[in-house]
Amino acid sequence: MSGSSSGFSYGPVVPEDLRLLCMLHNIGAITPERSLTIKEISEWTTVESSTVQSYLQKFVEQGYVNHIKAGEVDRYHLTLNGIRKVLSIYS
Amino acid sequence: MMKVCVLTWEFPPLIVGGLARHCYGLGKAMAEKGHEINVATLSFPGAPSSEEIDGVKVFRASAEIGHPHFITWTLLFNHFLEKRVADIDASADFDVLHVHDWLTAPAGISLKHFTKKPMIFTVHSTEYGRSGLHSPDSYAIDGIEWWATYEASKVIVTTEFMKREVCGHFHLPWDKVDVIPNAIDLSKFNVYVDRDSVRRRYGVNPHERLVLCVGRLVPQKGVDYLIQAIPRITQRHREAKFIIVGEGWLKGHLEYLANQTGQRWRITFTGFIPDLELVGLMKSADVLVVPSIYEPFGIVALEGMAAGVPVVVSQIGGLAEVIEHDRTGIYVYARSSDSVAWGVDRVLSDPGHATWLTRNAKEKVQNTYSWEAIAMKTIEVFEKIARR
Repeated sequence: MSGSSSGFSYGPVVPEDLRLLCMLHNIGAITPERSLTIKEISEWTTVESSTVQSYLQKFVEQGYVNHIKAGEVDRYHLTLNGIRKVLSIYS
Repeated sequence: MMKVCVLTWEFPPLIVGGLARHCYGLGKAMAEKGHEINVATLSFPGAPSSEEIDGVKVFRASAEIGHPHFITWTLLFNHFLEKRVADIDASADFDVLHVHDWLTAPAGISLKHFTKKPMIFTVHSTEYGRSGLHSPDSYAIDGIEWWATYEASKVIVTTEFMKREVCGHFHLPWDKVDVIPNAIDLSKFNVYVDRDSVRRRYGVNPHERLVLCVGRLVPQKGVDYLIQAIPRITQRHREAKFIIVGEGWLKGHLEYLANQTGQRWRITFTGFIPDLELVGLMKSADVLVVPSIYEPFGIVALEGMAAGVPVVVSQIGGLAEVIEHDRTGIYVYARSSDSVAWGVDRVLSDPGHATWLTRNAKEKVQNTYSWEAIAMKTIEVFEKIARR
Protein backbone atom coordinates (compact mmCIF):
# COMPACT_ATOMS: atom_id res chain seq x y z
CA MET A 1 0.00 0.00 0.00
CA SER A 2 2.68 2.43 0.62
CA GLY A 3 6.13 3.54 -0.25
CA SER A 4 8.07 3.25 -3.42
CA SER A 5 11.18 4.79 -4.81
CA SER A 6 10.69 7.07 -7.72
CA GLY A 7 11.35 4.76 -10.66
CA PHE A 8 9.37 1.75 -11.73
CA SER A 9 10.93 -1.17 -13.50
CA TYR A 10 7.79 -2.04 -15.43
CA GLY A 11 6.38 1.28 -16.46
CA PRO A 12 7.11 4.88 -17.27
CA VAL A 13 9.51 6.61 -14.88
CA VAL A 14 8.51 9.65 -12.88
CA PRO A 15 8.92 12.65 -15.19
CA GLU A 16 11.49 15.33 -14.33
CA ASP A 17 8.87 17.97 -13.55
CA LEU A 18 7.21 15.70 -11.00
CA ARG A 19 10.56 15.14 -9.34
CA LEU A 20 10.60 18.86 -8.66
CA LEU A 21 7.09 18.63 -7.20
CA CYS A 22 8.34 15.85 -4.89
CA MET A 23 11.33 17.89 -3.85
CA LEU A 24 9.04 20.83 -3.02
CA HIS A 25 7.18 18.48 -0.69
CA ASN A 26 10.32 17.01 0.82
CA ILE A 27 11.82 20.41 1.59
CA GLY A 28 8.62 21.38 3.36
CA ALA A 29 6.94 23.88 0.99
CA ILE A 30 3.45 22.62 1.83
CA THR A 31 1.77 25.61 3.49
CA PRO A 32 1.64 29.36 2.78
CA GLU A 33 3.85 29.97 5.84
CA ARG A 34 6.50 27.65 4.45
CA SER A 35 6.24 28.79 0.84
CA LEU A 36 9.51 29.44 -0.99
CA THR A 37 10.82 31.74 -3.71
CA ILE A 38 12.15 30.44 -7.03
CA LYS A 39 15.67 31.28 -5.88
CA GLU A 40 15.24 29.32 -2.65
CA ILE A 41 13.74 26.34 -4.49
CA SER A 42 16.56 26.40 -6.99
CA GLU A 43 19.17 26.46 -4.20
CA TRP A 44 17.51 23.63 -2.29
CA THR A 45 17.05 21.39 -5.29
CA THR A 46 20.01 22.44 -7.48
CA VAL A 47 17.60 22.77 -10.40
CA GLU A 48 18.18 25.81 -12.65
CA SER A 49 15.96 28.81 -11.78
CA SER A 50 14.59 29.01 -15.31
CA THR A 51 13.58 25.32 -15.21
CA VAL A 52 12.03 25.77 -11.76
CA GLN A 53 10.04 28.74 -13.04
CA SER A 54 8.70 26.91 -16.07
CA TYR A 55 7.69 23.82 -14.04
CA LEU A 56 6.06 25.96 -11.35
CA GLN A 57 3.99 27.80 -13.92
CA LYS A 58 2.66 24.47 -15.18
CA PHE A 59 1.95 23.20 -11.65
CA VAL A 60 0.04 26.38 -10.81
CA GLU A 61 -2.12 25.88 -13.92
CA GLN A 62 -2.72 22.24 -12.94
CA GLY A 63 -3.70 23.18 -9.40
CA TYR A 64 -0.80 21.39 -7.71
CA VAL A 65 1.00 24.55 -6.56
CA ASN A 66 -0.21 27.84 -5.09
CA HIS A 67 1.43 31.10 -6.06
CA ILE A 68 1.54 33.85 -3.44
CA LYS A 69 2.53 37.37 -4.28
CA ALA A 70 3.98 39.05 -1.18
CA GLY A 71 4.93 42.57 -2.26
CA GLU A 72 7.57 42.15 -4.92
CA VAL A 73 8.27 38.54 -4.02
CA ASP A 74 6.68 35.48 -5.62
CA ARG A 75 6.44 32.48 -3.32
CA TYR A 76 5.20 28.95 -4.00
CA HIS A 77 3.88 26.00 -2.02
CA LEU A 78 2.02 22.76 -2.74
CA THR A 79 -1.79 22.63 -2.65
CA LEU A 80 -3.61 19.72 -0.99
CA ASN A 81 -3.92 18.08 -4.42
CA GLY A 82 -0.22 18.66 -4.98
CA ILE A 83 0.56 16.89 -1.70
CA ARG A 84 -1.69 13.97 -2.69
CA LYS A 85 0.00 13.80 -6.08
CA VAL A 86 3.43 13.59 -4.48
CA LEU A 87 2.41 11.04 -1.87
CA SER A 88 0.90 8.84 -4.59
CA ILE A 89 4.43 8.32 -5.86
CA TYR A 90 5.51 6.93 -2.54
CA SER A 91 2.30 5.03 -1.75
CA MET B 1 -8.28 -3.09 27.53
CA MET B 2 -5.23 -2.60 25.34
CA LYS B 3 -3.36 0.67 24.98
CA VAL B 4 -2.09 0.76 21.41
CA CYS B 5 0.23 3.19 19.64
CA VAL B 6 -0.30 3.11 15.87
CA LEU B 7 2.30 4.57 13.53
CA THR B 8 1.17 5.34 9.98
CA TRP B 9 2.09 8.06 7.55
CA GLU B 10 -1.45 8.29 6.15
CA PHE B 11 -4.55 8.97 8.24
CA PRO B 12 -7.69 10.99 7.34
CA PRO B 13 -7.93 13.66 6.10
CA LEU B 14 -4.64 12.68 4.47
CA ILE B 15 -5.99 9.97 2.18
CA VAL B 16 -3.87 8.85 -0.74
CA GLY B 17 -4.43 5.12 -1.03
CA GLY B 18 -5.98 2.41 1.11
CA LEU B 19 -3.64 2.84 4.08
CA ALA B 20 -5.51 5.78 5.61
CA ARG B 21 -8.83 3.98 5.28
CA HIS B 22 -7.36 0.82 6.80
CA CYS B 23 -5.89 2.61 9.83
CA TYR B 24 -9.06 4.64 10.37
CA GLY B 25 -11.43 1.66 10.05
CA LEU B 26 -9.35 -0.57 12.29
CA GLY B 27 -8.70 2.14 14.88
CA LYS B 28 -12.35 3.13 15.09
CA ALA B 29 -13.52 -0.48 15.49
CA MET B 30 -10.93 -1.12 18.22
CA ALA B 31 -11.90 2.06 20.05
CA GLU B 32 -15.55 0.98 19.92
CA LYS B 33 -14.50 -2.22 21.71
CA GLY B 34 -13.06 -0.08 24.53
CA HIS B 35 -9.37 -0.11 23.58
CA GLU B 36 -7.26 3.04 23.71
CA ILE B 37 -5.97 3.79 20.24
CA ASN B 38 -3.35 6.50 19.74
CA VAL B 39 -2.39 7.20 16.14
CA ALA B 40 0.82 9.07 15.36
CA THR B 41 0.92 10.25 11.77
CA LEU B 42 2.14 12.83 9.27
CA SER B 43 0.73 16.34 9.49
CA PHE B 44 -1.57 17.65 6.75
CA PRO B 45 -2.39 21.31 6.09
CA GLY B 46 -5.63 22.25 7.86
CA ALA B 47 -5.66 19.21 10.16
CA PRO B 48 -5.00 19.93 13.88
CA SER B 49 -1.84 18.66 15.53
CA SER B 50 -4.00 16.55 17.83
CA GLU B 51 -7.67 15.60 17.83
CA GLU B 52 -10.03 12.73 18.53
CA ILE B 53 -11.79 11.12 15.56
CA ASP B 54 -14.49 8.56 16.39
CA GLY B 55 -12.81 7.58 19.64
CA VAL B 56 -9.32 7.40 18.08
CA LYS B 57 -6.74 9.84 19.43
CA VAL B 58 -4.75 11.29 16.54
CA PHE B 59 -1.39 13.04 16.90
CA ARG B 60 0.25 14.62 13.88
CA ALA B 61 3.94 15.32 13.38
CA SER B 62 5.57 17.58 10.82
CA ALA B 63 8.97 17.06 9.31
CA GLU B 64 10.38 20.33 10.64
CA ILE B 65 13.56 19.87 8.66
CA GLY B 66 13.31 18.94 5.01
CA HIS B 67 15.57 17.46 2.38
CA PRO B 68 14.92 17.06 -1.36
CA HIS B 69 15.90 13.39 -1.27
CA PHE B 70 12.91 11.25 -0.27
CA ILE B 71 14.62 8.68 1.92
CA THR B 72 16.50 11.38 3.81
CA TRP B 73 13.18 13.20 4.24
CA THR B 74 11.56 9.98 5.49
CA LEU B 75 14.25 9.45 8.12
CA LEU B 76 13.94 13.07 9.26
CA PHE B 77 10.17 12.71 9.44
CA ASN B 78 10.58 9.54 11.52
CA HIS B 79 12.70 11.46 14.01
CA PHE B 80 9.89 13.99 14.48
CA LEU B 81 7.31 11.22 14.65
CA GLU B 82 9.27 9.51 17.41
CA LYS B 83 9.45 12.78 19.32
CA ARG B 84 5.70 13.23 18.87
CA VAL B 85 5.01 9.78 20.34
CA ALA B 86 7.16 10.67 23.35
CA ASP B 87 4.95 13.76 23.76
CA ILE B 88 1.76 11.65 23.68
CA ASP B 89 2.71 9.80 26.79
CA ALA B 90 5.86 10.68 28.69
CA SER B 91 5.90 7.23 30.26
CA ALA B 92 5.23 5.69 26.82
CA ASP B 93 3.21 3.07 28.62
CA PHE B 94 1.68 1.38 25.59
CA ASP B 95 0.93 -2.33 25.52
CA VAL B 96 1.92 -2.64 21.87
CA LEU B 97 3.24 -0.57 18.98
CA HIS B 98 1.52 -1.19 15.66
CA VAL B 99 3.51 0.01 12.66
CA HIS B 100 2.09 0.16 9.12
CA ASP B 101 4.56 -0.09 6.24
CA TRP B 102 8.21 0.97 6.05
CA LEU B 103 7.58 4.72 6.04
CA THR B 104 7.13 4.79 9.81
CA ALA B 105 9.18 1.69 10.62
CA PRO B 106 12.39 3.49 11.74
CA ALA B 107 10.41 5.35 14.45
CA GLY B 108 8.58 2.17 15.42
CA ILE B 109 11.80 0.19 15.83
CA SER B 110 13.42 2.91 17.96
CA LEU B 111 10.32 3.14 20.14
CA LYS B 112 10.27 -0.63 20.53
CA HIS B 113 13.81 -0.63 21.92
CA PHE B 114 13.27 2.46 24.05
CA THR B 115 9.95 1.37 25.59
CA LYS B 116 10.69 -2.38 25.64
CA LYS B 117 7.19 -2.91 24.26
CA PRO B 118 6.44 -5.35 21.46
CA MET B 119 6.12 -4.07 17.92
CA ILE B 120 3.68 -5.52 15.41
CA PHE B 121 4.36 -4.68 11.78
CA THR B 122 1.64 -4.73 9.13
CA VAL B 123 3.02 -5.03 5.61
CA HIS B 124 0.49 -3.67 3.12
CA SER B 125 2.86 -4.06 0.19
CA THR B 126 6.56 -4.45 -0.47
CA GLU B 127 9.01 -2.44 -2.54
CA TYR B 128 9.94 -5.71 -4.26
CA GLY B 129 6.33 -6.24 -5.32
CA ARG B 130 5.52 -2.61 -6.11
CA SER B 131 8.38 -1.82 -8.39
CA GLY B 132 11.12 -4.39 -8.19
CA LEU B 133 14.58 -3.60 -6.86
CA HIS B 134 16.28 -1.40 -9.40
CA SER B 135 17.96 1.56 -7.71
CA PRO B 136 19.87 2.45 -4.54
CA ASP B 137 16.66 3.91 -3.09
CA SER B 138 14.62 0.79 -3.77
CA TYR B 139 17.31 -1.40 -2.17
CA ALA B 140 17.29 0.88 0.88
CA ILE B 141 13.48 0.69 1.15
CA ASP B 142 13.64 -3.09 0.77
CA GLY B 143 16.24 -3.15 3.54
CA ILE B 144 14.06 -1.10 5.90
CA GLU B 145 11.11 -3.41 5.16
CA TRP B 146 13.24 -6.48 5.96
CA TRP B 147 14.59 -4.81 9.09
CA ALA B 148 11.06 -4.06 10.35
CA THR B 149 9.86 -7.63 9.74
CA TYR B 150 12.95 -8.87 11.64
CA GLU B 151 12.39 -6.52 14.58
CA ALA B 152 8.66 -7.20 14.80
CA SER B 153 7.24 -9.69 17.28
CA LYS B 154 4.58 -10.49 14.71
CA VAL B 155 4.00 -9.53 11.09
CA ILE B 156 0.47 -9.03 9.78
CA VAL B 157 -0.49 -9.14 6.10
CA THR B 158 -3.92 -8.89 4.50
CA THR B 159 -3.87 -11.90 2.15
CA GLU B 160 -2.29 -15.33 1.69
CA PHE B 161 -0.68 -13.90 -1.45
CA MET B 162 1.15 -11.34 0.68
CA LYS B 163 2.12 -13.99 3.24
CA ARG B 164 3.82 -15.98 0.48
CA GLU B 165 5.53 -12.84 -0.83
CA VAL B 166 6.71 -11.63 2.58
CA CYS B 167 7.85 -15.05 3.85
CA GLY B 168 9.58 -15.82 0.57
CA HIS B 169 11.30 -12.51 0.02
CA PHE B 170 12.31 -11.75 3.62
CA HIS B 171 12.92 -15.39 4.60
CA LEU B 172 10.53 -15.20 7.56
CA PRO B 173 9.33 -18.24 9.48
CA TRP B 174 5.82 -19.11 8.28
CA ASP B 175 4.36 -18.84 11.81
CA LYS B 176 5.69 -15.32 12.33
CA VAL B 177 3.18 -13.98 9.80
CA ASP B 178 -0.58 -13.81 10.41
CA VAL B 179 -3.15 -13.08 7.71
CA ILE B 180 -5.87 -10.64 8.75
CA PRO B 181 -7.83 -9.25 5.80
CA ASN B 182 -8.80 -5.69 5.13
CA ALA B 183 -12.36 -4.56 5.74
CA ILE B 184 -14.66 -1.69 4.90
CA ASP B 185 -17.20 0.44 6.72
CA LEU B 186 -20.43 -1.05 5.41
CA SER B 187 -22.59 1.72 6.93
CA LYS B 188 -20.97 4.16 4.49
CA PHE B 189 -22.76 2.37 1.66
CA ASN B 190 -26.20 2.24 3.28
CA VAL B 191 -27.20 5.65 1.97
CA TYR B 192 -29.73 6.70 -0.62
CA VAL B 193 -28.15 7.98 -3.81
CA ASP B 194 -30.00 9.81 -6.55
CA ARG B 195 -28.35 7.91 -9.38
CA ASP B 196 -29.49 10.20 -12.19
CA SER B 197 -28.34 13.30 -10.41
CA VAL B 198 -24.88 11.83 -9.64
CA ARG B 199 -24.52 10.75 -13.27
CA ARG B 200 -25.58 14.16 -14.54
CA ARG B 201 -22.80 15.78 -12.48
CA TYR B 202 -20.29 13.71 -14.45
CA GLY B 203 -21.96 14.13 -17.85
CA VAL B 204 -23.47 10.62 -17.96
CA ASN B 205 -27.11 10.33 -19.11
CA PRO B 206 -29.50 7.81 -17.50
CA HIS B 207 -29.50 5.52 -20.58
CA GLU B 208 -25.70 5.47 -20.89
CA ARG B 209 -23.48 2.77 -19.34
CA LEU B 210 -21.09 4.05 -16.72
CA VAL B 211 -17.77 2.19 -16.47
CA LEU B 212 -15.91 3.29 -13.33
CA CYS B 213 -12.29 2.86 -12.31
CA VAL B 214 -11.01 4.03 -8.92
CA GLY B 215 -7.43 4.06 -7.72
CA ARG B 216 -4.17 5.92 -7.48
CA LEU B 217 -2.92 6.75 -10.95
CA VAL B 218 0.32 4.79 -10.67
CA PRO B 219 1.61 1.91 -12.83
CA GLN B 220 0.60 -0.83 -10.34
CA LYS B 221 -3.08 0.00 -10.85
CA GLY B 222 -3.01 -0.92 -14.55
CA VAL B 223 -5.40 1.87 -15.57
CA ASP B 224 -3.64 2.00 -18.94
CA TYR B 225 -5.08 -1.45 -19.76
CA LEU B 226 -8.62 -0.17 -19.20
CA ILE B 227 -7.97 2.89 -21.36
CA GLN B 228 -6.56 0.72 -24.15
CA ALA B 229 -9.66 -1.49 -23.90
CA ILE B 230 -12.03 1.43 -24.48
CA PRO B 231 -12.19 1.26 -28.33
CA ARG B 232 -13.06 -2.45 -28.10
CA ILE B 233 -15.67 -1.92 -25.37
CA THR B 234 -17.36 0.89 -27.25
CA GLN B 235 -17.63 -1.21 -30.43
CA ARG B 236 -20.23 -3.28 -28.58
CA HIS B 237 -21.48 -0.64 -26.13
CA ARG B 238 -21.77 2.63 -28.00
CA GLU B 239 -23.47 4.24 -25.03
CA ALA B 240 -20.54 3.58 -22.63
CA LYS B 241 -18.83 6.37 -20.71
CA PHE B 242 -15.73 6.00 -18.56
CA ILE B 243 -14.92 7.74 -15.30
CA ILE B 244 -11.46 7.40 -13.81
CA VAL B 245 -11.21 8.54 -10.19
CA GLY B 246 -7.92 9.19 -8.45
CA GLU B 247 -4.76 11.21 -8.40
CA GLY B 248 -1.24 10.13 -9.11
CA TRP B 249 1.99 10.81 -10.92
CA LEU B 250 0.99 8.80 -13.99
CA LYS B 251 -1.99 11.03 -14.76
CA GLY B 252 -0.33 12.90 -17.62
CA HIS B 253 0.64 9.67 -19.34
CA LEU B 254 -2.86 8.22 -18.90
CA GLU B 255 -4.44 11.36 -20.35
CA TYR B 256 -2.12 11.00 -23.32
CA LEU B 257 -3.26 7.38 -23.79
CA ALA B 258 -6.89 8.50 -23.48
CA ASN B 259 -6.32 11.01 -26.29
CA GLN B 260 -4.90 8.21 -28.46
CA THR B 261 -8.10 6.13 -28.21
CA GLY B 262 -10.08 8.55 -30.38
CA GLN B 263 -12.74 8.30 -27.67
CA ARG B 264 -11.50 11.05 -25.37
CA TRP B 265 -14.97 12.60 -25.14
CA ARG B 266 -16.21 9.49 -23.35
CA ILE B 267 -13.49 9.58 -20.69
CA THR B 268 -13.46 11.76 -17.57
CA PHE B 269 -10.57 12.04 -15.12
CA THR B 270 -12.03 13.39 -11.87
CA GLY B 271 -8.85 13.62 -9.80
CA PHE B 272 -9.29 13.07 -6.05
CA ILE B 273 -12.90 13.11 -4.83
CA PRO B 274 -14.17 12.95 -1.23
CA ASP B 275 -15.46 9.65 0.18
CA LEU B 276 -19.15 10.52 0.17
CA GLU B 277 -19.02 11.54 -3.48
CA LEU B 278 -17.15 8.33 -4.28
CA VAL B 279 -19.87 6.22 -2.67
CA GLY B 280 -22.44 8.05 -4.81
CA LEU B 281 -20.42 7.38 -7.94
CA MET B 282 -19.95 3.69 -7.10
CA LYS B 283 -23.66 3.27 -6.47
CA SER B 284 -24.42 4.94 -9.81
CA ALA B 285 -22.00 2.92 -11.94
CA ASP B 286 -22.83 -0.09 -14.13
CA VAL B 287 -19.47 -1.74 -13.66
CA LEU B 288 -16.34 -1.14 -11.58
CA VAL B 289 -13.05 -2.17 -13.17
CA VAL B 290 -9.95 -2.95 -11.07
CA PRO B 291 -7.27 -3.70 -13.71
CA SER B 292 -4.27 -3.80 -11.32
CA ILE B 293 -1.02 -5.51 -12.17
CA TYR B 294 0.11 -5.66 -8.51
CA GLU B 295 -2.48 -5.66 -5.75
CA PRO B 296 -1.71 -7.01 -2.28
CA PHE B 297 -5.39 -6.71 -1.30
CA GLY B 298 -7.59 -4.44 -3.44
CA ILE B 299 -9.89 -2.68 -0.99
CA VAL B 300 -11.57 -0.80 -3.83
CA ALA B 301 -13.05 -4.11 -5.05
CA LEU B 302 -14.63 -4.63 -1.62
CA GLU B 303 -16.04 -1.11 -1.75
CA GLY B 304 -17.56 -1.84 -5.14
CA MET B 305 -19.06 -5.08 -3.83
CA ALA B 306 -20.58 -3.22 -0.86
CA ALA B 307 -21.93 -0.49 -3.14
CA GLY B 308 -23.72 -3.11 -5.25
CA VAL B 309 -21.82 -2.52 -8.48
CA PRO B 310 -20.55 -5.54 -10.46
CA VAL B 311 -16.76 -5.75 -10.27
CA VAL B 312 -14.31 -6.80 -12.99
CA VAL B 313 -10.86 -7.44 -11.52
CA SER B 314 -7.45 -8.71 -12.56
CA GLN B 315 -6.88 -12.25 -11.37
CA ILE B 316 -3.82 -11.39 -9.32
CA GLY B 317 -2.66 -11.02 -5.72
CA GLY B 318 -5.32 -10.25 -3.17
CA LEU B 319 -8.00 -9.66 -5.78
CA ALA B 320 -7.87 -13.35 -6.67
CA GLU B 321 -8.65 -14.17 -3.02
CA VAL B 322 -11.32 -11.53 -2.43
CA ILE B 323 -13.34 -12.24 -5.60
CA GLU B 324 -14.81 -15.56 -6.72
CA HIS B 325 -14.93 -15.70 -10.50
CA ASP B 326 -18.43 -15.59 -11.96
CA ARG B 327 -19.97 -15.69 -8.46
CA THR B 328 -19.02 -12.40 -6.79
CA GLY B 329 -17.28 -10.74 -9.73
CA ILE B 330 -15.46 -11.35 -13.00
CA TYR B 331 -11.77 -12.16 -13.37
CA VAL B 332 -9.74 -10.86 -16.25
CA TYR B 333 -6.10 -11.43 -17.11
CA ALA B 334 -3.73 -8.80 -15.73
CA ARG B 335 -1.86 -6.74 -18.36
CA SER B 336 -4.42 -7.57 -21.06
CA SER B 337 -6.68 -4.88 -22.46
CA ASP B 338 -8.48 -7.53 -24.56
CA SER B 339 -9.33 -9.41 -21.40
CA VAL B 340 -10.50 -6.21 -19.67
CA ALA B 341 -12.76 -5.51 -22.65
CA TRP B 342 -14.12 -9.06 -22.42
CA GLY B 343 -14.86 -8.67 -18.69
CA VAL B 344 -16.66 -5.37 -19.08
CA ASP B 345 -18.69 -6.78 -21.96
CA ARG B 346 -19.57 -9.85 -19.86
CA VAL B 347 -21.19 -7.57 -17.27
CA LEU B 348 -22.79 -5.00 -19.58
CA SER B 349 -24.23 -7.62 -21.94
CA ASP B 350 -26.04 -9.62 -19.28
CA PRO B 351 -27.80 -7.41 -16.70
CA GLY B 352 -29.45 -10.45 -15.06
CA HIS B 353 -26.08 -12.06 -14.41
CA ALA B 354 -24.67 -8.73 -13.22
CA THR B 355 -27.47 -8.43 -10.65
CA TRP B 356 -26.79 -11.98 -9.45
CA LEU B 357 -23.08 -11.18 -9.06
CA THR B 358 -23.78 -8.07 -7.02
CA ARG B 359 -26.19 -9.92 -4.73
CA ASN B 360 -23.60 -12.61 -3.98
CA ALA B 361 -20.86 -10.00 -3.59
CA LYS B 362 -22.82 -7.94 -1.08
CA GLU B 363 -23.54 -11.03 1.00
CA LYS B 364 -19.85 -12.01 0.96
CA VAL B 365 -18.70 -8.56 2.08
CA GLN B 366 -21.25 -8.38 4.88
CA ASN B 367 -20.30 -11.79 6.23
CA THR B 368 -16.52 -11.60 5.92
CA TYR B 369 -15.10 -8.10 5.72
CA SER B 370 -16.49 -6.02 8.59
CA TRP B 371 -14.10 -3.89 10.66
CA GLU B 372 -15.61 -5.29 13.84
CA ALA B 373 -14.48 -8.83 12.94
CA ILE B 374 -11.05 -7.65 11.74
CA ALA B 375 -10.51 -5.56 14.90
CA MET B 376 -11.27 -8.58 17.09
CA LYS B 377 -8.74 -10.72 15.21
CA THR B 378 -6.11 -7.98 15.45
CA ILE B 379 -6.68 -7.51 19.19
CA GLU B 380 -6.26 -11.27 19.66
CA VAL B 381 -2.83 -10.99 18.04
CA PHE B 382 -1.93 -7.99 20.24
CA GLU B 383 -3.02 -9.78 23.42
CA LYS B 384 -1.05 -12.92 22.59
CA ILE B 385 2.08 -10.88 21.89
CA ALA B 386 1.67 -8.64 24.96
CA ARG B 387 1.31 -11.71 27.23
CA ARG B 388 4.66 -13.18 26.11
